[in-house]
This record gives sequence, C-alpha cells and structure tokens, in this order.
Amino acid sequence: LCSVPLQVLLYANGLYFIFYFLATLTMIVYKSQVFSYPEEFLAPDLTLLLVMAVLEALRLHLGSEGNLTEEEAPLGLSLAVTVGSVILSVYFLVWQTYVLKADVILNAVLLLTYGLVSVLKVMAIAAFIR
Amino acid sequence: APETRAAAGARTRSGPAPVTDVAELCVCDLLVAQCDVNCCCDPDCSAAEFSLFTTCSVPIVTGDSRLCSQKAAVYSLDVKTNPPERIFKLIDQVNPSVFCIHATNYKQALSFPSPDMPTSENFDQLLKRFGSGSFSAEPDSWDMNPDTENPSDANETSRYEYGVPVQTVDAFLRLPSPVVSSWCSDANPAGFLVNQATKCTRSVSMEKCDTIQALSMLFYINSSILAKCHEFVFQVNITVRSIAVQSLNGMWTLPHGSDALRLPMILDALCINIVLGVTYHITYTDAGEIIEAAAAFVLGAINKETLSIQQSFEISFTQANTEPVALSGNPGYVVGLPVRAGFRPQRYPFPGEINTNKYGQLTILQSTSSQDCLAAQGARAPVLFGYNMISGCTLRITAATKCQPLTQTLLDLLKGQNFPEYVASFGNSQDQDVLDWVPITHLHTSEQRISNTFQSSCQIPVSLEIEVKWTKYGSLVNPQARIVNVTATITTTTLKQLPSGRERTIPITSSVVFTDISSPAEPGYKAWPTINAKLPFDFFFPFV
Repeated sequence: LCSVPLQVLLYANGLYFIFYFLATLTMIVYKSQVFSYPEEFLAPDLTLLLVMAVLEALRLHLGSEGNLTEEEAPLGLSLAVTVGSVILSVYFLVWQTYVLKADVILNAVLLLTYGLVSVLKVMAIAAFIR
Repeated sequence: APETRAAAGARTRSGPAPVTDVAELCVCDLLVAQCDVNCCCDPDCSAAEFSLFTTCSVPIVTGDSRLCSQKAAVYSLDVKTNPPERIFKLIDQVNPSVFCIHATNYKQALSFPSPDMPTSENFDQLLKRFGSGSFSAEPDSWDMNPDTENPSDANETSRYEYGVPVQTVDAFLRLPSPVVSSWCSDANPAGFLVNQATKCTRSVSMEKCDTIQALSMLFYINSSILAKCHEFVFQVNITVRSIAVQSLNGMWTLPHGSDALRLPMILDALCINIVLGVTYHITYTDAGEIIEAAAAFVLGAINKETLSIQQSFEISFTQANTEPVALSGNPGYVVGLPVRAGFRPQRYPFPGEINTNKYGQLTILQSTSSQDCLAAQGARAPVLFGYNMISGCTLRITAATKCQPLTQTLLDLLKGQNFPEYVASFGNSQDQDVLDWVPITHLHTSEQRISNTFQSSCQIPVSLEIEVKWTKYGSLVNPQARIVNVTATITTTTLKQLPSGRERTIPITSSVVFTDISSPAEPGYKAWPTINAKLPFDFFFPFV
C-alpha cells in the first residue's frame, strides 16, 4: 500500500523546491549586483544550482513513481540521488561565495525536508519489502 | 597557467597584512607616539589627556555593516564624571536584515584587493596593464663636442634663436644665478635675446681670494663668444666697457685707466679687485649673429671677516644699428612702465621733433633716508604710469637763508635738472609725430591767500604736484591707456624772516597722481528702421 504521507510530502517538497530555486537564483543575481562577484565564482554557483534542479526533478520523479507503483527500486534510487542533493544543499549552506541569512534559512528548511522525506521513504521501502 | 602564477605569487613579496581587529584600528591616530586631540581610540593617550577632550571624533569603529554579526569598538566620553573619562566598549553589532552576509568564502569580498608588488618578473606585465605615458629620462642634450656637428641641419643651427644658449669657445656664456638656494651656480647659460638679471651669493675667504676663479675678471671675459651657433670660425671677444670700484662702505668710483684688466690681489688687510657685478651687453644683427660683446664690471674688496658676498649679473641684447628706447606700451601705456617725456628743441623754421633721450624722462624727487632736502644729492625716481607716488624731504631754514637762492634750489630739487616739456600720449609715440605729445601745463598756486598787496615777502615753492589725466582709448574689449593732460602745479608759501638763532623746518613734497577721466563707454545703436510707406506718384492714376 503506497504511503500517503510520503506522497503529500513529495508534493510539498516539489513546491518548496520551485520556491527555493527561484529565490536562490534571484539572490545570486542580487549578490552579483551588490557585491563584488567575479565570474570565476559566479559560474560554479549557477552551475551547481542548475545541477541541483535537475537532480531534484529526477529524485522527486523517482520517489513518486516508486511510491505509487509500490516498487523499492525507484525509491532506493531516489534515496541515492537524495545524497547528491543533500551535498549540494550543504554547499549552498556553507561553501557558497556569499551566504546570506536568507540562504541559511532556505537551505536549512530544504535539508529538513530532505530528512523527513528520506525517513518516510525508508519506512515505505520497509513496508514494500515485507 | 595557474600553477606558474601561484609559484610566482609565492616568490613575490606582498604588502603588510591588513589590520582587521576593530579594537586596534584608529583612523584619527595621526601623530606617532603623541596623543591626538579628541581621538578617543588613540593608544598614545593617557587618562589625564582623555580628561581634556571635548568629544570623540571617531565614536565607533566597525567592519562592513552588511555582515550579520560583527564586532564593533565604541568610544565615548563620560562627561558626567569629573574629570571626564573615556569609555571603551567592544560590542557585537547585529544586522537585522534577512539579507545580511552570514559568511563569505571569497577572501577579497568586502575589501579592496592589495596591489601586486612589482618585481623583475611581473614588472613588464604590470607596466603594460597600468602604465601610461611617461617622460624620457634623458633630455635632448646639446652636443658640446664640435667634432660631431650634424651636417644635415647645419643651416638651421648656425643662427642664434631666442632662448638658445650663447656659445663660447669652451662651453657657453655663463650667467651665475641661484639655483635651489641663494648660492651661485656657474652652470646657468645666458640665452640669446633673453634679458636676465640675477643675484646670488658666493662664499669667499681672504686666503683663497686670488684662487677662486669666479671672483676674478678673467673668468667672465676669458672665452670668446661664437658669432654663429656651432661655428668656430667667427669669434667675438668680450671687451671691458667700464670698471667701477666699490669701496667697503658702498661708495662707487670710476678709476682712471678703466680698460685695464684688474685681477684680485691682497693689499694691506683687504683683497681688492674681486668681482661684485658683471653687466653684459651683446649686440646682434637681425640674421641671428652676435657682432659685439661688452662687459661692465663692478669690483669690490673684502676683508678677513667677510664670509660671503653677493654678486649680481645682468645681460642685455641690443640689435645693431638701433637705439634701444624702451617703449612704455604699444600703443597704450602699460601700468608700471615709465612715462615717456621729452623736449621740443627750438628749431626754426622746422619745429618738428620731440627729443627724447633718457635725460628727458619725467621724474620726481626720491625720498632718501636722510630727510634733509639740501643733502638729497639729486636722487630722482622715474614716474611710472598708473602708480601714484608721493615723496618729500624736510628743509631746515635758519635766519641766514636768503630767499632767491633758496627758491632756485627748491625749484631744482622739485623739478630736477631737465624737467621735460612734453609727455608722450601713447606708450609708443614716435619722436616725429608732434601731435602724439602732450605739453605739460604749469600752474602756480599759493598756500596762503595774500590779503595784503604788499608782496615783497619771499615766496618759496614747497610742493610740486603732477596730475596726469588719462583716458581709455580704442575698442571696448581692449582699451588702451592714453595720456590726455599733464598738469604740474607748484605751490608756494611765504617765507617769513626768522629772528637770528632760530631754526624752522618746512616739509617739501612732490607727488604724482594719475586720474582716469575716461567717460563710460556708450553703446552705439543703429537708427530704428522706418516704414517707408509712400504710395507711388501715380497710384490713383485715372482720378489724379
């Protein structure tokens, strides 16, 4: 039986990530105007944000598919991709060129969401295996 | 490549590390090891000095305020306590905005980058990036070696041009002048057509007075001047025009046999014949060639106590076959130049020209340090256009002074030996244009109103006032000064006979006043256009 809380959380995760992506992109533009943001620092930040968006789309798709078809494999794959997303989120939390307080808040919420989703995925995998 | 750049960076020195601790930063600490006034963060100040401050010029020292949380050093003066104390607090300043910078991973994010220190490796690259136009270190030096004459421009350099150093056989004609301090430097060349006058100090001593070259006449007339630039064929010897000898107390005499060369020598306790001044007169042609050179010397003497003397040098250039009459303006008078004046010689039947030699200059009495009129020795000052002047002296009268000789003496004193009759209207009035010269009007006034008709008492002149009326002439944008009227007024007073043994002093004054009588410029307008509305003659043809 597919997990309804997981599905709801995945949906909320998707919505939040759209907000996160737009907010982070806007803030990078703001930082490039207000602060000294040379190109060799701007390019990696933007690239990683795009990579993160791609990974997130993949992760959410796999997670939703796995939950709805009650298969463990996509869910496991989704968890693996979540590791990459967590690393990228930590990058934006700690290793970005300019970390504003808003960045800290956004990334903290994102990490929290990842944590919750991951817990629910593990529970769902356990339920599907049984 | 980044690795070579990193390696080069390791080798280059960098500037000192920037101070970022707010407790140690103090912008108002300008004096080293001394307390700056009203600088509360100055570590050199003691508590006693803090008590004398009125405010803190730097109340807070913080880093970039966009950081979320940063340390700030706050300085303030507590005026309630007696004596006032300085309060220093280190606080955490918090930026409440959500967009405050939490952290940065980019080192130079919030400060200016330190410039690269130039080394031999990166110098060319830095110069290309930041360098701009510069001046060459070596000037185009004159080639003093006669063997390396450049044949291509020999035609151009054979004539002297304005400013070109006057060349002599060994180097160039020297006009010693002060360079940085007032000491004489012998390396100043005289420029062609550049009239110069310099004064400088030279250190002397009795023992070396005949060995110091610059004190001897020979040094200045030794080498001949080249008539044409760079050409050694024609040379002009410098002749000695005159020698004046100045004694230790400043008196000048013109000794006999002036043309003989006098070298420094020690006589009694003095060293005589040392050069105190040289005036060169160079005559040139309009082809840029020097044809004559003469030098006038002033020689003096020094004694054992003299440690330094002041030498003065002058050079003036005159064109051949011309008389150097300096114009006082072209055409209008220039303020500060002497007013030109002259006589009209009584030549019948051609009362043509005005004779202007320098004896016909308009002069007034010059005040001397001894204010006695009779000891004035005839010192006169030229009247300069635009400068109002007043001068005078005092006359001491005893019972024995006679009227008539005194009147004549005073008139000579006030007017001078050759008081001119005409004054030039323009600064460049030529002698032959009689109409360009203004006659001087003489007026006599008396100080007291003589009530009694018994005028046998003595009238002596006591003041001469020259009033020069001038106007602006010519265009509105460049008006020229033109003298219109010159009036010389002599004021006389009665000399009362003194009882014997009594003395009286009378002040004698002479003055020059320049008055601008130019009327304000009136713009000229064209006539208003009129409407020419007349009907033709046969307008109403059939009816007229």
